Amino acid sequence: MGRPSIRSLAGGAAGIAAGIIAGIGLSSISTASPSLPSPPRFVDAAHVPPVLTLPGEPIRLRFAVVCTPRNDGEPCHGSGDVYVRAGQTGTFGRLALRRSEDSKDGRYYVDLPEEIGSSPDGFSYYAVLRDDETGATLTVPSGGAAAPQRSLQLRAPAAVTLGAHVFGHPRAADARVVEARWGSAPQDVGLAGSRERGFTGPSAFDVEPDGTVDVLDQVNGRVSRWTRVRHSLVPIGVDDGLADFAVEADGSYDVLEPTGTLRSFRADGSPKWSQTLSDRTWAQLARGPSGPVVQQQPSEQWLPAAEEGRPLTRSAQARAGRPGKPVGDGREVIVERVGESELRVAETVGNSPLRSWRITSATSLGEVQLAEPQADRIVLVAKTYTDERDEFLVLVLDAKGLAHEFSVAATAWAEAAPLARFRLAGSSLYRLGSTPAGAFVDRFELEVPR
Amino acid sequence: MKVFLVCVGLGLVLAAASGAQAYHRFWASCNYDAPTFMTTMTRDAVQDYANAARYEGYQWGGGCWNYDDVDSYPNDALRDPSTHGEGGDCSGFVFKTWRESQDAWRDGRYYWRALRNVHGPYDASAFKYGNGAPNHVISKSSAGTMDAFASDWHIGMVFYRSLYGGDQIVEAKCETCGTNIFYRTYRSDSSYGGVARWGWTG
Repeated sequence: MGRPSIRSLAGGAAGIAAGIIAGIGLSSISTASPSLPSPPRFVDAAHVPPVLTLPGEPIRLRFAVVCTPRNDGEPCHGSGDVYVRAGQTGTFGRLALRRSEDSKDGRYYVDLPEEIGSSPDGFSYYAVLRDDETGATLTVPSGGAAAPQRSLQLRAPAAVTLGAHVFGHPRAADARVVEARWGSAPQDVGLAGSRERGFTGPSAFDVEPDGTVDVLDQVNGRVSRWTRVRHSLVPIGVDDGLADFAVEADGSYDVLEPTGTLRSFRADGSPKWSQTLSDRTWAQLARGPSGPVVQQQPSEQWLPAAEEGRPLTRSAQARAGRPGKPVGDGREVIVERVGESELRVAETVGNSPLRSWRITSATSLGEVQLAEPQADRIVLVAKTYTDERDEFLVLVLDAKGLAHEFSVAATAWAEAAPLARFRLAGSSLYRLGSTPAGAFVDRFELEVPR
Repeated sequence: MKVFLVCVGLGLVLAAASGAQAYHRFWASCNYDAPTFMTTMTRDAVQDYANAARYEGYQWGGGCWNYDDVDSYPNDALRDPSTHGEGGDCSGFVFKTWRESQDAWRDGRYYWRALRNVHGPYDASAFKYGNGAPNHVISKSSAGTMDAFASDWHIGMVFYRSLYGGDQIVEAKCETCGTNIFYRTYRSDSSYGGVARWGWTG
C-alpha cells in the first residue's frame, strides 16, 4: 500500500467534513416541524361537588372550563348549563352558568334556588360545558343524567371539634410488620430517583384478611409478600411510576398506573387484563364488593373499573359513578373536605344518610387517606398540617361522635402514591412509611384500650 | 474524487451517530422568538396553557413543546439536558406558564409560545423560597388554581382542589411520567411550601 498523498488526505478530510455537515443538516430537516401544530380542540373541566350539605346552607356550584389555549393569551370563552333537580329522582331543570370576574375557584358558577339547594332529600345534577370558540363540549360527570352528582343533606351530623393540633406526640406502632432496606436483593425494596429529583419508593401496599402484607415494589417490578411466617416475591410487569395497588379476594392484583391504566394480574403475576379509566385523573384505588373501584377527576366520583373479574368499558364505568366508596351491603362512605379545616363524613345506603359526622379543626386539614367502617364505627385517617409541620390524624367515629383519636408521624422519606399510605384490615390499621434506610409497614391496633 | 466521495459517506455515517443526532433532536424544531408582553394574566388562561402541554413529555433543563399530544423523544437519559427532547422540566414549565421574564428583577407578564425554547432562571428550590420579583411565598392552605407547591427538588401547580382534600396538580414530573395532571398531596407535605405569582388579573 503506497503512502497517501497530501492531496488525497485533504480530499478525504474535506469529504468527511462535508458528510458530517450534510448529515447534521439532513437530521435537522427530518426532525424539524415547519410550524406549531394547532392545539387539539378540546374542553376539560374541574369541579368540586358539594356532596354533603347542611340545612340552610347556600349552594353555589363552581366550574373551571378549560379549553384550547388562545393565541392571544387570553382565557377562552366558555359557557355551560347545569341540569339539576331537587332530590335524587325525576326530571332535571336547566340553569345557565354565569361568568364571574375571578377564576381562582372556577370562573363559571350558578347559585341554586333555595327550594333545590335546601331540599331535605338533597339534590342531583350534571353540567354540560362548552368552549364557545371551537364548539367542543364536555359533560361532568361523564355519566350525565345516568350517574349525576348526588348531594345529600346532613340533618343532624355528630359534631367532632378537634381544636388546635399538638404536633410531636405521635402514637408508637404496636408492631413493625415489614422492614426492608433499599435495594434489589430479595428482602429489599426498590428506590428510584436522586436527592436532586426526589426519591420514589414502594408506591402502595395492601393487607389481606389473614394479615399478609403485599407491598408493590414497582421499582424492582414485583410484589413483595410478607405472611406471618415467610416472605416471597411475585414478579409483575408494571412501569416504575407511582401506582396504586389492591389485592382482590381471589389473590389477584390490581395495579393502577399513573397514566390511568388499570392492570389486573393473576396471583402468580401473569397479566389478566388491562383497562383505561373513564376520567383523566385518579386519586385512589380501592377494593369494592364486586371489583376494583377508583375515585376519579373531574367527575369526583367513585367509578367501578371491573365487575366480577371483567373490566368495564369507559362508558360503563361512567354510567355507574357514585359519590361514595362502596363498602358492602349497599352502603357507601362519603367524604368531603370543606374549606381549610372541616371534614364531613356520612355512611349512606342508597341515597340516604344513615349517620354522619361534621369534624372541625383549628389546624388545617389535608387529604383524607382512609375512611372505612370497622364494626359499628368509622375509621378515618386524614392529614393535619401547618406550613412547617404535618402529621396524620386517626379518628375513630361512633354514633356519639369521636370514640378516640391518635396521631401518626408522617414518616415518608420517599414518595408513594397519594392516597395509598394506610390500609384497614379487621381491627388493625396499617401504614406504609419510609426512611433514608428503607421502607416499612407498621400496625396499629384499634381495639386496644389506651 | 473517489477518496472524497468515500469520505463523504463516512461523514454521513458519523453524523448519524448518537452525538450529532442528539444535538439536533426536538430542539431543532424550537425557536427563540421574543415573548409577547401582556397587561393581563388570568388564572384560567394559564390553566388552558398548562393543560394543553399534557402528554408533551419532560426534558431536564428543557422548555419547548408542540401540541401533538405525544412525547416526541420519550425515555431520554435522566438529568441530561443535552438530549434535547420535548417538554419542559418542572421549573421551566412553571416559568413559561406563569409568563415570567428571564430577568429575575422584572415582574411583568411575558407570554411564551409553546415552541419557544426557554427555561428561565429558577429551579424548584428558587421558586420554593419565592426568589425573583414575580414570585412570593404563600400559606399552603390558601393556595388556589394555578398557585404552586414547591420543594427543594420539584414544583407543581394547582390545577384544581379536590373532594378528598388533595389537589389535582399539573406538573412536568419526570422523564417516564411526562407532563400531566396528577392527584397529589403536596399541600399537606412539610417538604413543600406554597408559592404564587404576583399579578393575576382575574
